[in-house]
Amino acid sequence: METKAVNTTAELEKELGMSEQELFSFVEYHAEDAERIGYSEYSYWKSVFRNFLKNKAAVVMIIVFFAIFIFSFVALWIGKYDYQHLIPDTNLCFQSPNSEYWFGTDNLGRDYWCQVWYATQTSIKLAAIVALGECLMGVTIGCIWGYVRKADRFFTELYNIFDSVPTMIYMTLIALFIGQTFWIMCASIILFHWMYMAKNVRNLVFMYRDREYNLASRCLGTNLFRILTKNILPYLISVIILRVALSIPSTIALETTLSYLGLGLDVNTPSLGILLRNSRTFFLDYPYLLIFPAVIVSLVTITFYLAGNAFSDAADPRNHV
Amino acid sequence: MKKLLAILLTVCFMLGVFAACTNDNTPANTNEPASNNNNENPGQTQTNTPVSEGLDLSVSKEPKKDWVTYLTLANEMETFNILYSQNNKELRVLTSCIDGLLSNDNRGNLVPAIAETWGTEDGGKTWTFNLRKGVQWVNMNGEPMQEVKAEDWLVGLEWVLNFYKNEAANTSMPTEMIEGAADYYAYVAGYQDLEIPADADAATKEKLTKNYEDAKAKFEAICEKYDLEPVRLTADEAKSMDLTVFKQMVGIEAPDDYTLIYHCVAELPYFATVATYNCLYPAPQALIDQLGVDGFYACTNENMWYNGCYTITHYINGNEKVLTKNPLYWDTDCTLFDTVTYKMVESGDVAFQMFQAGELDYIELTESNLRTIYNSESNEFHDYIVEARPTKYSYQLHLCWDKRDENGDPDVNWNTAIANENFRLAWYYGLDATAYLARTNFIYPQHCANYCYTMSNLVSFSDGTDYTDRVMEKLGISPNGENYARVDAAKAADYKAKAMEELTAQGVTFPVVVDYYIQGSSQTALDTANVLKQMFSDCLGDDFVTLNIKTYISSVNKEVRNPQLASFYINGWGADYADPQNYLGQETYGMDNAYYSVSYSKANNITDENLIAVYEEFTNMVNAANAIVDDMDARYEAYAEAEKYMLEHALVIPWYKNVLWQVTHVNDYSKIYAPYGIQGEKFKNWETSVDAYTTEDYAKLAEAYAAGAAK
Amino acid sequence: MFKYTIKRVLQSLGTVLIVVSIVSLLLSLMPTDYFFTEEQLIKLTDKQKEDQLAAAGLLDSPIVQLFRFLENLILKFDLGTSRRIQAGVPVIKVIGDKFAISMRLGCIALVISLILGVPMGILQARHKDHLFDHIGAAYTIFVNAVPRLVSYSLVLVIGVKLFGLPSMYSTRHAVRSSILPIICLAMGSTASYALWMRRYMVDELTKDYIKLARIKGLSTRQIMFKHVLRNAFVPMVQNLPTSFMLTIGGSLLVERFFSIPGMGPLLTDSITRYDLNMVRGLVLLYALLGIFGLFLGDVLMTVCDPRIRLTGKGGDTR
Repeated sequence: METKAVNTTAELEKELGMSEQELFSFVEYHAEDAERIGYSEYSYWKSVFRNFLKNKAAVVMIIVFFAIFIFSFVALWIGKYDYQHLIPDTNLCFQSPNSEYWFGTDNLGRDYWCQVWYATQTSIKLAAIVALGECLMGVTIGCIWGYVRKADRFFTELYNIFDSVPTMIYMTLIALFIGQTFWIMCASIILFHWMYMAKNVRNLVFMYRDREYNLASRCLGTNLFRILTKNILPYLISVIILRVALSIPSTIALETTLSYLGLGLDVNTPSLGILLRNSRTFFLDYPYLLIFPAVIVSLVTITFYLAGNAFSDAADPRNHV
Repeated sequence: MKKLLAILLTVCFMLGVFAACTNDNTPANTNEPASNNNNENPGQTQTNTPVSEGLDLSVSKEPKKDWVTYLTLANEMETFNILYSQNNKELRVLTSCIDGLLSNDNRGNLVPAIAETWGTEDGGKTWTFNLRKGVQWVNMNGEPMQEVKAEDWLVGLEWVLNFYKNEAANTSMPTEMIEGAADYYAYVAGYQDLEIPADADAATKEKLTKNYEDAKAKFEAICEKYDLEPVRLTADEAKSMDLTVFKQMVGIEAPDDYTLIYHCVAELPYFATVATYNCLYPAPQALIDQLGVDGFYACTNENMWYNGCYTITHYINGNEKVLTKNPLYWDTDCTLFDTVTYKMVESGDVAFQMFQAGELDYIELTESNLRTIYNSESNEFHDYIVEARPTKYSYQLHLCWDKRDENGDPDVNWNTAIANENFRLAWYYGLDATAYLARTNFIYPQHCANYCYTMSNLVSFSDGTDYTDRVMEKLGISPNGENYARVDAAKAADYKAKAMEELTAQGVTFPVVVDYYIQGSSQTALDTANVLKQMFSDCLGDDFVTLNIKTYISSVNKEVRNPQLASFYINGWGADYADPQNYLGQETYGMDNAYYSVSYSKANNITDENLIAVYEEFTNMVNAANAIVDDMDARYEAYAEAEKYMLEHALVIPWYKNVLWQVTHVNDYSKIYAPYGIQGEKFKNWETSVDAYTTEDYAKLAEAYAAGAAK
Repeated sequence: MFKYTIKRVLQSLGTVLIVVSIVSLLLSLMPTDYFFTEEQLIKLTDKQKEDQLAAAGLLDSPIVQLFRFLENLILKFDLGTSRRIQAGVPVIKVIGDKFAISMRLGCIALVISLILGVPMGILQARHKDHLFDHIGAAYTIFVNAVPRLVSYSLVLVIGVKLFGLPSMYSTRHAVRSSILPIICLAMGSTASYALWMRRYMVDELTKDYIKLARIKGLSTRQIMFKHVLRNAFVPMVQNLPTSFMLTIGGSLLVERFFSIPGMGPLLTDSITRYDLNMVRGLVLLYALLGIFGLFLGDVLMTVCDPRIRLTGKGGDTR
């Protein structure tokens, strides 16, 4: 149960847009009312959303993001060319955006519009799945790691082993022996990246674990699960959300790097990373090839950055009414 | 507020990109005007006039003293030992550092290097090389170490043939050509102990035992032949071998310090051209003694000895190397740079930016760069794009007769289809490679067209006719420069109809699925493959074949060729010595050293009798041609006949050769032209210009070169 | 504490050995064909290949190979010789030549990004929701929003075209040619230091003790530097040693981009070229760096925040 934080008068004035006189006036005495018990219908998540919705910029960006995602399907449907049946024709290469080719054509004269939107779908899907997977695995393991002293040793060693072997070795071996499909890519990124989230969570849990209120809670016999989910996790949510939000652009970036090294998605699955990698070659002469995918990546990143920050502010119980 | 900020930011970013682009173009034109009308520059005298006579063809430029070139990072050297290197990565650098017996000139003729004169008196079985006196081995700083003597070649060959010293690198030509070399190699390498895995079944056991017995018997036979004790050498013994046993076994001798004699296994009229290759390079015993065997194997630019035009004075792996003129170089008349700098760059794009910034003297143009420059009159390089000479590789479609799927089972559909001659001929006459060629050279795609298996300019008849011209004459192909001359749509349709009828009867399902592999990280390869796919669809029809693009990670040999996953490979072969045997010999049937038919096409696994018959006939023709050693015209004529037979049965489909575009400060026609061997990239006698050559200059230079050839 | 340190160091060494063993065994899963170059595969006969594999000891079982490696490592401190990166040159020499360059550039970039990033984060937190916060946020967004591959290209183009800086690193003009790579290296980490610094500070600012401090009448400056910064810096400090250690490892993209002869691309190159000794040596190095970085981070954290205990004595009743 949270109590309302005591703000200074000045802050209250600002927040409510009322002067001190309006805010404070003497109440007449009612015997009945005096008997009433204070009761607040507080719900954590409701408060989070209420606070989040107050941040207009973040809400707008989230809407923009969903619009992009939904539009990526619509765009393929209204586009004049079908991604699966693009025909390379070098006579049509490097056409600037026009009424026939809305995003112009690439170096082989293929319509860029459908490539960009198709790639957008792939990348968002990949990033979302990875973020979700990382979050689930990372938070669960991080809480246990940070809280249970006996597990600390084991997980630290596990982390060390995972972290010390450069990801490139795993990625190369996976690409060589298992293949390069979308789902393998998701699984391998989650498998080698959950631990960063876990480590972050562990460090924070480590800090809150021995706080007095937890000691008290433990003395009262609260079980581990409850202490983790009710006492500690709410403090972590802001950091977790920020990390998830940032993991989305970083997954897109990682995918770009892997494609650059030939360890990314297979060639028949275009992603924004692959488009960016390619357009790097041409962007001085044909900037539009770079701008379209880069703007989409930037919008996605900004969305998650703003929304992540807003959400993590909103998720901090201390800011709740 | 934040939203506004985000939008502003996006806009700023876009503006930034635009700004970067416009900045690219504006100062560009102001940089270059000085170089436009260079011929009228009064300050320059006619230095370095090219070989031609007639003033109208001459292009005179102020030469460059230092040269800066680039390579991509993947091409960094892995070794400095020229005897161990089998790779263009190192050889292109080391060829400027160490000279062998012979070299080439700018027309591909053999010219003396350390050997002043050479010849054979018995039709090519024994070859004598007379060495130049007073050539010095020098160290990195150009200080003399000792004189280059004939024995250095014996030491070098021993090194190559000694398994424990050189790990079998570069052995293929010496063991095939020099008497006793194969025996010496086998003697030193010995044989492996018999080790039967615990879980081996009876058949494997028997096979392993048999292999062991064979190897042992062979080893003992060699020992008996040379009267040696039949005991295998240990690694240490082998490493400390001197020349005693070697001289007894191998047909090479040095009667005095300046004479070198090779004894070949048979009459090899082309053996002298092998002397330009690094398998017959020298190694000074004193250096090996000084560094030790392991030290010489791992020699570096700092401790190796040089006898070529340059020494490597600065080397940072993955970054830069600087070659400095060797002050004691034997050829005092030649033109050399003071320094040559190699910069290792991440990609061609970075190199292009460096070239624009004036940090490089030469740049190869990618398709998109070339297109942009060519189509834009205002581009700073518009007047400076010049066509390079063809590289020494001849690219072919190598078909796989025994393709497997990923589980290792034969791909019956493909194997049956490709064994059918009509099916192959439909490809041969149907595939118009023009779109593919335009990927390399979109200005003149047909300059890349290739209709023969052998590369042009390799050998010519005594009347000057190029061998490949003769082959084309026999095939009835006359290139007109307009379109891909081999294509005949009517014939292709005819063969396609026949093939579909015959193969459907044999149970083949159409369209036949064709798997083509490219490297996953290479966007250029993917783009090219997409063009190829479209071409298959346009030329052959979707009802006939469909091309599947698949990828490998790092090694085509390991990931694709060994498991036999690809339907065909597009591969280039560059000659090791000047004879059609070096090309056609790779496609023969039932020969162990026929590289392509064994490793790529898997000809030994063919079950179709007609195809075997064709292969055998072709092999007989090649062997017959190879037996003619006294009359070179007759020899080449016989080879041309064999090549025609091979192509008309579409055992291999000729595809393209590489003719790139570039902006450069060197006259390519003055460079060494080496259709075989390793001499091609030596920085010797280069004609250069402080200002880049214009397209016009190059046209004149090409004309002058052609005029020189006619003369 | 001393006892704990010794114990932890020994444990870490154990982990390093486990890591190296795992990687060694993983690599032996790769087909032996990867031992050969493409040219060797073309030119060598099967017998020759087998001879070479036998001579290199690759036909032995993975366990035997591993023990041989560990034996050489522990008894002679010998990592063997490289085979494909620089044939025959000892691994230690190859790495030794390269790591100094990576470390120098990395450390400069790290220091720059700390000097810029931490104050930026502090200022942002202090002026939360005001102009400075937005400028900082804009920078962070920009750096994170634009993929590295693209932003490095932009830095390269702008640096070369506008400022005439060399586009390639050269040991002969080390200072001038280091500018662009250092900008690339520092750009990203500055943003992330600022981002996390701000986050931790803002989190700290809402805490009760800050309110108390305010009520006590401390100035904002005092609150910021004496209380908030110290608490917020704890989670930052833990990552510092690791970041420092990892500068030695170099950055794959930046080093490739500017042809820096550093450690960055070495590992990928070694794997794809199957230079086993190089891979083992590099993994050993990375493992050592990573694990000791983590350990140092923990130690630093206890130094900065005495409430955190690593040894688990007292306080905890569980």
